[in-house]
Amino acid sequence: MTRTFDFTNTIWCAGCGHFGVRNALVAGLTRMEIPAHETMVLAGIGCSGTLQNNVRAYGYHALHGRVLPAALGVKLSNPDLTVVAAGGDGDGYAIGAGHLVHTFKRNPGIVYLLMNNAVYGLTKGQDSPTAEPMDRGAEESLDGIALGLALAGSSFLARGFSGAPGQLDRLILAALEHARSGRGFAFVEILSPCVTYNDTYAEWAGQVVDLNADPEYDRFDRSQAFARIHEVADAGGIATGLIYENRGTAMETRMYAGETASPANQPTEVASHLDDYRALMAQYAV
Amino acid sequence: MSAPKLMLDFNAMVAGQGGDGSLTVISILTELLARRGYHLFMSRNVASRIKGGLAAAMLRGSVVRRGCRGDHYDLLVAFDQEAIDRSGSEVADGGVVIYDASDGPLDRSALAETVRVFEVPFGRFAVRDLSRDLFKNSLSFGVISRLLGLEQDEAEACLRHTLSRLPERLIALNLTAFQRGLDFADEIGLHRGAGAWQVDKVEREPQILITGNDALAFGFMAAGGRFYAGYPITPATEILEFLQKHLPARGGVALQAEDELAAVNMALGAAMTGTRSMVGSSSPGYSLMQEGIVHAGSAEIPLVIVDSQRAGPSTGMPTKPEQSDIDMMIYGGNGEFPRIVLAPGGPRDCFELSALATNLAQRLQCPIIIALDQAIAQDSRTVAFFDLEELEADPGARLSADDLRARNTYGRYEVTDDGVSPWAVPGTPGGMNLITGNERNAWGLVSTDPKVRKTMADKRMRKVESIQHELPDGRRFGTAGADVGVLGIGMQLGVMSEAVERLADQGIAVEGLQPRTLWPVHGETLDFIASHSRVIVVEQNQEGQLRRLLMAAGADGAKLESARKYDGVPFRPAELVDQIIRGAGLTDNEPAMGSVA
Repeated sequence: MTRTFDFTNTIWCAGCGHFGVRNALVAGLTRMEIPAHETMVLAGIGCSGTLQNNVRAYGYHALHGRVLPAALGVKLSNPDLTVVAAGGDGDGYAIGAGHLVHTFKRNPGIVYLLMNNAVYGLTKGQDSPTAEPMDRGAEESLDGIALGLALAGSSFLARGFSGAPGQLDRLILAALEHARSGRGFAFVEILSPCVTYNDTYAEWAGQVVDLNADPEYDRFDRSQAFARIHEVADAGGIATGLIYENRGTAMETRMYAGETASPANQPTEVASHLDDYRALMAQYAV
Repeated sequence: MSAPKLMLDFNAMVAGQGGDGSLTVISILTELLARRGYHLFMSRNVASRIKGGLAAAMLRGSVVRRGCRGDHYDLLVAFDQEAIDRSGSEVADGGVVIYDASDGPLDRSALAETVRVFEVPFGRFAVRDLSRDLFKNSLSFGVISRLLGLEQDEAEACLRHTLSRLPERLIALNLTAFQRGLDFADEIGLHRGAGAWQVDKVEREPQILITGNDALAFGFMAAGGRFYAGYPITPATEILEFLQKHLPARGGVALQAEDELAAVNMALGAAMTGTRSMVGSSSPGYSLMQEGIVHAGSAEIPLVIVDSQRAGPSTGMPTKPEQSDIDMMIYGGNGEFPRIVLAPGGPRDCFELSALATNLAQRLQCPIIIALDQAIAQDSRTVAFFDLEELEADPGARLSADDLRARNTYGRYEVTDDGVSPWAVPGTPGGMNLITGNERNAWGLVSTDPKVRKTMADKRMRKVESIQHELPDGRRFGTAGADVGVLGIGMQLGVMSEAVERLADQGIAVEGLQPRTLWPVHGETLDFIASHSRVIVVEQNQEGQLRRLLMAAGADGAKLESARKYDGVPFRPAELVDQIIRGAGLTDNEPAMGSVA
């Protein structure tokens, strides 16, 4: 076995919610028996952006907010890979929010783990887009699940909590299955408290409402999902669980029309296309 | 009547409001001149709007290959007075104006005395006889065909060929319009055989007529390029369009991103899988992409980036050429990282240098930048067929599963003599590694250790040093050993080479150089300057960025004269002849207009 990189001590504080995310991701990848060399973990900037250093896979540390476009480039170039993007609420909801909207719209087969701690931890405590307005600032907080529900392309929307590891394991496993089975973009927001700048374990533990615990809840009904998350919020809670899902068709499947196109594995020698290129050039002949 | 003049270098402009169909008349003339074996150069001049605004198409047909517009137009077809007001002064002595008099008679104050004018209410005729304004193009071609002394068969064949995509019913109506044009020519005494000009018939090898943007996209694809991302922007959009049309059928992807930031990051993602990847944009879009370009330099990801430069600053003049991003391409972005900038001077260069860039990116794992300008990007011209057989795909230092098994260790950023770290792409068993734009150790783990930092920074920069001697040399022309030199990149090549040729005809020896490697500054470029006593640096920008670059690279600034233009209009050969004569002090001691020496 060739030695590549060794796991190092994480930069996370003791008790950080991100440990739970890493554990659930590793559990999911292991459970599904996905080979490490066929997995790529891309993470953005911030505390969450070091996740890839402690997962046995190909890892990439993306620019701030740009993890989704990079992950899309990977997935479209080699659809056989299991692609996991990760980042914080600043990365995904602030600087990268535009890309999130377009990723819902495109629905590529990528898992996206957004670790929401409602604070900028690495830069020591500034407001994030999910910060509560009453506590911190003049702006309303942003709900990524509601955003996803509003976009017709979305196919998998879930919210977990680092303080509820059993549920988180199930959600990340379901997300991996969704993305790998060609249904598309699996979005999992994880309430992942920052113990140093916004320790919300106890507060969130009292707020979370697992929608899947209600046998009447139909996670395939987009309108019901939208209504329920707002009912929960109006009552002071936070909706969690697999909130919405449909049997969508992933972007790469639609683009390649079922064929196993893989730009990464195309021959690069001109010889393999010589007649083809000659014919194309002839179209310009005068 | 005097014998018709044989036009061996014919310059025509068709101008009107956008949507008038100026391109149609130029396309018909193109077909004619191509049949006669002429070399072609085509250019457009449009406003940044969908319809309306003055739009002009220009065609130069010549028996000698030319790479720019001529000094004057022999023929101006003007669909309105605005076209005359703007371009009338560019009509040659003894030239011809065909004017659409539908809205009233011509005010010819902008035209020289010797210019002949034919006023024809094309638009009115077209609407009256054929119920559609657009038929005025075929109508006007009737008159043009008589001016050029064409037989009706050949003229109709050219018309048919140009319109071949239209339904037969519309082609027939256009032929009727053309016949109506001939009838009108008879009415004004422009009978068969009475034309002022004639076009030669010359033999030449088959050629292709192509823009720089298309040639560049083709070169990328032919070198195995299979992923492109872009955001629509003038004048780079055609690269995206070409690749959207041609890559999918060849197992590739061309994506229209939500913005330039997304485009460059998509390409970074694709490149990490080993897919040969490129992004393209124009100046303001390139400026948005810089964060990603720096990242490719730091994280050592192979990426080709095209800047199809337009006039700046900011949104500037979207449809006008400039070479004012030289500094941005060479110095732009935070921190220091290896990069190479190549500068094509025509479609062949575009094809060859984009293929080279695609290979260099794989080999060096760093950003390879291609500097286009609007003129090189969008003007089309005839060139010899590209040499496909010559192309090779350099895989770079890629590790297979077998390679990995033969090693004890593999770190993504292993320190090597040439600075290039062999790499394994995702999907390769045993090659799991970490890619980051942060400073890191050989394993890809973040490090701020001073020794590691210096080792890694030095390693990255060694990549350019290791390749320097292999970078493409420039194109030399004119009189070898002349005292005076002229130097410029991109769009300046065509103008410089014609100016140098004319100076030689006047007995003035000048040697020219078009560097094709802009960064790092090629040794040949500095040698060229050293071996001439004066060198005029020709560039399309305000500050003389190219001249400044050469001086920073060690060229003697006292030798470097500057010929600059930044009004959105390319140099004409005669203007440059004048600047070279004055700038180099060949007739007097007056400095060149833009001299900063």
